[in-house]
Amino acid sequence: MVLQRPSWSLVASGVFASGIHLISGDVGSGKSTLALEMAGLQVPDWGIMTREGITSSMLSFQFPEFHVTGFSVAEECASWGLETEVVLQQAGIEVREEVPVLSLSRGELKRLHLACVLSRQYDLLLLDEPFSSLDCRGKEAVCRQLSARTEGITILFTHEQSIFPKVDHIWEISGGFLCDCGEMPGALASWQHAPPLIKRLVESGRVPDNITPEGILEAACRTRG
Amino acid sequence: MQDPRVRLFCAFLLSVAAFVSIAGASLVFAWWLVFTSRWKNIRHYKVVGATILLFGIISAVITLTGSDGVSYFARMTVILLIGAWLYADTCPGDFLATGTSLFGTRIGFELGMIAGMAWEMAGGLFEDFHRIQIALVQKGRPWNIKSMLPAGRILIFDTLRRADDTAEILAIRGYRAGGTICTHFYVLPVEILAGLCATAVLVGAYLFR
Repeated sequence: MVLQRPSWSLVASGVFASGIHLISGDVGSGKSTLALEMAGLQVPDWGIMTREGITSSMLSFQFPEFHVTGFSVAEECASWGLETEVVLQQAGIEVREEVPVLSLSRGELKRLHLACVLSRQYDLLLLDEPFSSLDCRGKEAVCRQLSARTEGITILFTHEQSIFPKVDHIWEISGGFLCDCGEMPGALASWQHAPPLIKRLVESGRVPDNITPEGILEAACRTRG
Repeated sequence: MQDPRVRLFCAFLLSVAAFVSIAGASLVFAWWLVFTSRWKNIRHYKVVGATILLFGIISAVITLTGSDGVSYFARMTVILLIGAWLYADTCPGDFLATGTSLFGTRIGFELGMIAGMAWEMAGGLFEDFHRIQIALVQKGRPWNIKSMLPAGRILIFDTLRRADDTAEILAIRGYRAGGTICTHFYVLPVEILAGLCATAVLVGAYLFR
């Protein structure tokens, strides 16, 4: 499909199978628009997107305020059909249930939102910049939860360069095209947006099995034979 | 209508005229038919439709309690049409320019800035409302009266929060009171005619009430 805006255009073609997919790209390259199209919330300018076996889907927006439909923290958790205490525990934040949800800091709101999203199972889960507004601990916690997902299609749209979950497939937006870098770990060889550390490791022949912090650490400490 | 001064002047006179009498409302409706782009001026049909529905319910209650509900409905609907026209024709900076031009660089600037901010926030509310609808759809929740109540509370809370943020930003940037803006207005002949007709409509509304 083709997406066109006044300042850019994006040609995207590919098949997304079950597993965790990472779509990386520069700021303003069209990641969020692609996410909207894949969620069915926008129609592409040209082309089609076919969903097979998808009965439930969720697009997590970059800005968590966009998901708020309940006034208080308790109402917001209830709007997701979840218990407030369980969500707060999973989010790792300590706030009163009756507090207006929009009075939380951006980071707290993001953690609350992601806890709600990741508590439910979706056939297609699209996460637009899931790590924005999170500190390192928050990112690691989200990565652990994402890495544990074994069912459905999970697609991450991010320009994150430091902390990643375990992914199965890497894509990148480059020069107005969605490029398929391939399955892990082979995808790392052609991943242009790879963080410098991963590029160095690949160049030195120590290709990480995955891009999790543990995977990178193992590759960095690997003895060259 | 490109001159914001004439636009605001007409909107004020016409709103008063429509409120004064049913004859005034009829004249205002005629003015609206002649001097505006009519239905093309309505940017948010659903909002206008919902508001007219609300007027209808209130009118029915007024009629049932023995008063003139039809008159209320006609007058309020015409005022709504004038408001929709004003909203659609207004451009960013219009209120600030008009306020400063009419009432000076202190009170005029302040009033214009407040009106301009309110106008921009109104535009933002429509976007927020749409986002909440999308969020509900994604959560598999129905869009009904029950879900609209918390949505309304969210919008009010968020608007007040943004107003606080804006006030802080203004203070941080050193704003105290008043300011200058140099705008050159020009009036088209048809706008002068529209202004004269609006004045005549107000006079007519008082004469025929």
